[in-house]
Amino acid sequence: MKQRFLADNALGQFLDWLTHYGVLHGPTRTAEGVDAFGPVQTESDLCLDYRRTLIPPKKYLLPPRQTILNYTTAAGYTLPDRPAPQQVLFGVHSCDLQGIAYLDRVFLGDRPDQLYRRYRNALTLVGLSCEPDPFCFCASSEKAPRNADLFLQRLEHGFIVSAETTRGKGMLAGLEPLLTEIEAIPPPPVESRMMIRLRNAAERGSTFPDSPLWENFAARCLSCGACSVCCPTCYCFDVLEHGALDGMTAERLREWDNCLFRAHGEVAGGHNFRPTRRERFLYRYLHKYLGFGALAGVPACVGCGRCRVVCPVAIDLTELFAEGDDVCA
Amino acid sequence: MSAPELNSIPISARIQTIRRLTADTALFRLQLDGDRTFPFIPGQFVQLSVPGGGEVPISPADLPAVDGTIELCVRRFGHVTSLLHRSRTGDRVGIRGPFGNGFPVDAMAGKDVLLLAGGLGIAPLRSLLFHLLRHRSDIRSLTLMYGAREPAVMLFKDELLELATTGSLRLLLTVDFLSDTGQAEPACNVGLLPALLKGVQLEPGRSCAAVCGPPALYRCTIDELLLAGVAEDDIYLSLERRMKCGVGLCCHCAVGQLLCCCEGPVFSYRDIKNIPGAL
Ligand SMILES: Cc1cc2nc3c(=O)[nH]c(=O)nc-3n(C[C@H](O)[C@H](O)[C@H](O)COP(=O)(O)OP(=O)(O)OC[C@H]3O[C@@H](n4cnc5c(N)ncnc54)[C@H](O)[C@@H]3O)c2cc1C
Ligand code: SF4
Ligand code: SF4
Ligand code: FES
Repeated sequence: MKQRFLADNALGQFLDWLTHYGVLHGPTRTAEGVDAFGPVQTESDLCLDYRRTLIPPKKYLLPPRQTILNYTTAAGYTLPDRPAPQQVLFGVHSCDLQGIAYLDRVFLGDRPDQLYRRYRNALTLVGLSCEPDPFCFCASSEKAPRNADLFLQRLEHGFIVSAETTRGKGMLAGLEPLLTEIEAIPPPPVESRMMIRLRNAAERGSTFPDSPLWENFAARCLSCGACSVCCPTCYCFDVLEHGALDGMTAERLREWDNCLFRAHGEVAGGHNFRPTRRERFLYRYLHKYLGFGALAGVPACVGCGRCRVVCPVAIDLTELFAEGDDVCA
Repeated sequence: MSAPELNSIPISARIQTIRRLTADTALFRLQLDGDRTFPFIPGQFVQLSVPGGGEVPISPADLPAVDGTIELCVRRFGHVTSLLHRSRTGDRVGIRGPFGNGFPVDAMAGKDVLLLAGGLGIAPLRSLLFHLLRHRSDIRSLTLMYGAREPAVMLFKDELLELATTGSLRLLLTVDFLSDTGQAEPACNVGLLPALLKGVQLEPGRSCAAVCGPPALYRCTIDELLLAGVAEDDIYLSLERRMKCGVGLCCHCAVGQLLCCCEGPVFSYRDIKNIPGAL
């Protein structure tokens, strides 16, 4: 099969060219040795063989803290008029692309969120194939999800480049001078056993009601919330408002919240609908694996493995899927 | 302004009147800017913004008005509601909505309708009551059972007693206990709300009940309602959850897999009886 090919020695030029579409960000390794998406100036800033970043790309679409409304006595509440930054995110793995696709379904569904749309439209995505490690279990580690503008499939001396969106097709045309043609067969997608188990559990609608693992998890969990902070499809937010001292203006913010925190289910008067860790675990489980509201029945977990890596007490909700499943007994 | 914008950006309103009902509860009538009307179904809620304070979910306490006003009965609870209670007439607030499903008024046609309000739960049920009284001939009978902690915090008492004199509403009031100085009031029982349901017999399939109140109220009235013959499908419960966005995005309000702000806040007992922690 004929494919468009970007040779390793043209990568630098390719990165330069990407800056036409916005400020370039990609996987980097920080001074502390943490893999993180961040600004990239030159090819040497990139950490191309990264496994997973600590914080997923959701930070580009839902900043951890974001002004959602401004208030003035004269104009009332208005959307902030600052445009979203034009950015190119290079090197996004399939699982994170799928995470973005999930966020798109949530925030661009029936009641589209205008700020999310603004940030999403200003973000160009360049996907990159990956090497799975023991923590990941995504549906497919090789297939390019449809939402990457460009997708780069790593070969020995370069990358197969494909365009998945209208924007990407336009980009690919402009990229021609840097590309050559090769004969190559993309590797077949591999589906992880864990993802099959997860899907089976979701199809059964199982909440594993009798599993002793719930008590075990609840007893160990520190409620630190790391598992949701680092999850590419955890998006729940809190809303805060700050008035200026003059009483004439105010700012409304949304910031990342966490369903593992005690206050998440509290209502006025102090009644809490999820006072125990077990209930909060079940809440996260329901949302992650079975879905809420319009997305009920759509598992949100994309198998990036981050929650399994970061938990300080080695809690792994996927252990539940090994139970009661005949596919992988 | 298009519909999605109305959902995310509060429209401006001014506080037209404030009527203090009790020490901590007041009735606010808001005039929406541009005299726009604000249609809603009883039981739906709005997100009320108090500038500089934030936003809270409140169910309108009256029917949609043709004059571009909306009436909210608000208890002083915490940060935002205290700020509202410190506001004066003419002050600006914001409104988003309406959100949620509201009570299924069409399904009540031809039935004996029972409204059960505990404490502040009377606010959305007052809106429903007004709706049913306006379309009184559509339903068979109408009963309101309303319980308050003590006589001093019973809301809308004179108004309700007056409505009951027309004969189109059967009214049963109760207080948990009498205040020290309080006299036994005429037309008012002493005891918990579920006690009013003892011995009531209704026709299954031809009766329904709408319940709104604090979480404890649901747990102790459902058995009585089922005993009285109301079918699980016909018991409508308006649930409270922490609502931050009202549009299904913030994920604070799920009841099982149902989002209270979109698929609720009114659920039939049958829909939620198997959901742990729903009530
Ligand atoms: C569908 C619905 C209808 C309601 N109708 C009425 C009504 O008609 N009259 C009335 O007085 N009260 C009503 N409430 C309760 C009212 O929303 C709370 O009393 C109010 O949110 C308390 O906010 P606060 O800032 O004063 O309290 P605080 O305890 O200081 O709250 C702090 C923060 O928590 C949030 N918060 C606290 N409780 C809730 C809650 N239940 N839901 C969402 N956010 C919460 C607030 O937004 C606020 O930002 C209703 C609640 C719901 C869910
Ligand atoms: S639940 Fe864990 S493995 Fe699944 S997407 Fe979230 S962080 Fe990744
Ligand atoms: S990372 Fe582990 S300890 Fe922290 S909240 Fe999640 S499960 Fe609990
Ligand atoms: S209130 Fe935000 S999801 Fe329901």
